[in-house]
Amino acid sequence: MSNSKNTILSLRNVKKHFPIKEGVFQNVVGQVHAVDGVSFDIGAGETVGLVGESGCGKTTIGRCVSGLEPLTNGDIFFDLTPEKLLALEDFEKHQSEIKNKHLIDEIQSTSNISKIEGDDFYNYRRNCQMVFQDSFSSLSPRQLVSDIVSRPLKIHKVCADNELIPRTIELLEQVGLGKQHLYRFPHQFSGGQRQRISIARALALDPKLIVLDEPTSALDVSVQAQILNLLHDLQKQRGLSYLFITHNLSVIRHMADKIVVMYLGKVVEAGKTEDIFSNPQHPYTKALLAASPDLSEDVMSDMAALDGPIPDPARPPQGCSFRTRCPVSRTECGWEVDDIIRRLEHHETLIDSIKSVHQPDAFNAKLTFETSLSAIELKDVIGTNDIPKQMRKAIKKIEVDGNDVNISFDPVQTVPLVQSDNGSLSRCVLANK
Amino acid sequence: MSPDNLDIQNSLDKDLIASVTDLKVYFESKQGMVHSVDGVSFDIVDGEMMGLVGETGCGKSVTARTFMQLVQSPPGVLAGGNIKFRSKNIKNGSQVIDLLDLSENQIRELRGERIAMIFQDPGKALNPGLTIRTQVAEVFQEHRENDVLEKAGLKNKLSGVTEYFVKKYIKQEAGFLVTTLLKIPPLSTYKKKIDSGINRLVAEALEETQIPNPTKVMERYPHELSGGMKQRVMIAQAIACNPDLLIADEPTTALDVTVQARVLDLIKELQKRHKTSVLYISHDLSLVRRICDRIAVMYAGQIVETGDAETIFNQPKHPYTQGLINALPSMSHERGKLEAIEGIVPELIEPEPGCRFVSRCMRRKANCEEIDPKLKPISEVDKSHKVACLLYEA
Repeated sequence: MSNSKNTILSLRNVKKHFPIKEGVFQNVVGQVHAVDGVSFDIGAGETVGLVGESGCGKTTIGRCVSGLEPLTNGDIFFDLTPEKLLALEDFEKHQSEIKNKHLIDEIQSTSNISKIEGDDFYNYRRNCQMVFQDSFSSLSPRQLVSDIVSRPLKIHKVCADNELIPRTIELLEQVGLGKQHLYRFPHQFSGGQRQRISIARALALDPKLIVLDEPTSALDVSVQAQILNLLHDLQKQRGLSYLFITHNLSVIRHMADKIVVMYLGKVVEAGKTEDIFSNPQHPYTKALLAASPDLSEDVMSDMAALDGPIPDPARPPQGCSFRTRCPVSRTECGWEVDDIIRRLEHHETLIDSIKSVHQPDAFNAKLTFETSLSAIELKDVIGTNDIPKQMRKAIKKIEVDGNDVNISFDPVQTVPLVQSDNGSLSRCVLANK
Repeated sequence: MSPDNLDIQNSLDKDLIASVTDLKVYFESKQGMVHSVDGVSFDIVDGEMMGLVGETGCGKSVTARTFMQLVQSPPGVLAGGNIKFRSKNIKNGSQVIDLLDLSENQIRELRGERIAMIFQDPGKALNPGLTIRTQVAEVFQEHRENDVLEKAGLKNKLSGVTEYFVKKYIKQEAGFLVTTLLKIPPLSTYKKKIDSGINRLVAEALEETQIPNPTKVMERYPHELSGGMKQRVMIAQAIACNPDLLIADEPTTALDVTVQARVLDLIKELQKRHKTSVLYISHDLSLVRRICDRIAVMYAGQIVETGDAETIFNQPKHPYTQGLINALPSMSHERGKLEAIEGIVPELIEPEPGCRFVSRCMRRKANCEEIDPKLKPISEVDKSHKVACLLYEA
């Protein structure tokens, strides 16, 4: 990233957990780790693409960025000058020795979106707009287009009442609509046109950042191309920054400067678009790329697919979260007792005969079976090829003691994001070497 | 069968499983007749995968639904055309029938048995109030009475009234009397055997679509399964009776790319194993290119181009097909402008004569607005590649 430009948005270890409530008193029984420590920056005039499967937390990030969801942990900074960004990075590295405390305090009070108040917050809201996926539900069916598009202008009092309509027409013209569309209701438009209205509304306040949450996934290809071209042109004219959230890799390849690949609430790979597409480092990115059909590919080439379901985000795997589906998993990926239980689902009788599980931590557990026979069977099953070889190797100790089985794994730290050869970051034990 | 049907029988080519000729499906609306499907003709070659591609509202789903007479009427109006279908594996050998001529009872026998359908959104197509077992079992109970009896070990062992009762139970037609009688021995033992027979059939069907431990999944409700699993259940249901024609209406649109690849592999594999013909409907060109042998491109209720998948993608002739392919962001393209097709799909209410694509076409000629182009082979050599465009008419 060039140092002369401002950083429009900087996410620092952002976490968003949703409580799971149960019972009459709505006791909190667990947390869904929707976003779990995500950091990335968006420069001025830059497009950052956020990709991942459904449920990986990409939409939640979009909502956090636009201030629709309060953060559980971490910070989001808005519009930082290069000096401020440097100071912030410095501060994070050497937390103990605070050099320029007043600058940090200033950044916290003027740029941290969960701490700013009053006019600053107003200003942030103005500069960060959102375009939603489904234009049916994001445009009020009872309002005219003129109301919808001029509403932000009214709220933020950017123009006088008699200028409202001319300004609205101007906005509509920018997105390829016109005067004649002013007094119509959203249902009178096609999907592509409605998405244009959403974009006009987002543009009304001349924002610096637009969060685009799957803006074209409900559209046809020919219309999708129109919308993508429009977004491209607007970015050129106004120097907008986009946070482009999508699951479509060809679209992101076309739009984004930088890409952040997410899996289970964590960033697994981040880097420049060309680097990631030409030389993906993380097995998950590789699998995603292989799975998405593309016109330029050879028809006969195999479509690689991933096995197994996405693990429960309320109990995300320790170590590398992708190892349960990873085709190239290693012994040191951080296998844990839950993996054995996940595998046991193929052995119905075994899982039915488990009486209790005593689990002091993720890597040690005592499984109690109804009969000692099942306990021995478990040990046998672990010895067979039903269990990945790498996982078997990772087991430190497995003992049968009557009806009990004691299992322990080598504890492993969370896999960090590491810079790889081509400059992109990836979170994989293979890249650590 | 009436004498008419015999004529049709002679006219369907040996290698075809189905042939749609000049199909017209209209819908009544306050503004007038909506010509959703307006003169569609295409053939499905036996054992091949036929892709039907087009944008939203171009009539591809309506075409598919007409195969099974699933278009609600009113407002739907069948304005003309026929769908010839070769029904194989029935008692008196293979037979060609017109699907649109069949009565409600006749088509009911075909649905799920000879023609099966996979719907777009498995979350909506499965009944949320019934277990997976009940829903998959229905197909067997409706069409595979003898298989159920065989699995239950009761084939040729029952007679008279007992057989009548048991069959009523299998067909889910048991009234109060039969239900009560089935609770009393010896009928209750038969009932148990039948139930376990059905269970085994369902488990086998689920197993075929690579669902892990089917006996457990069977007892679950749809909301307990992931999207990919639900789609597998749908596929299991569809191929349970080994149909001749499988209609897949955007089966992977609601799924993630990684799951999509798995489901596609599965459909392709099952198609090869059972030699089923598939009508695959999708809006995703890059996907259709991968899995289909032949493609028909639809626009505003009409087929504009049809041919081999490779030919369509390498030498698209119709301006719309060319536009569609160029509009797709591809991994090899440079970033920047995409070649979008400007304008919007025309209204289909009482459309004017002339080419439907004329308002968006970059290569239109003077008479495009007056003359309705017909789907014609592009050259003498390749009869299978047909285009409906005046540019290619001599």
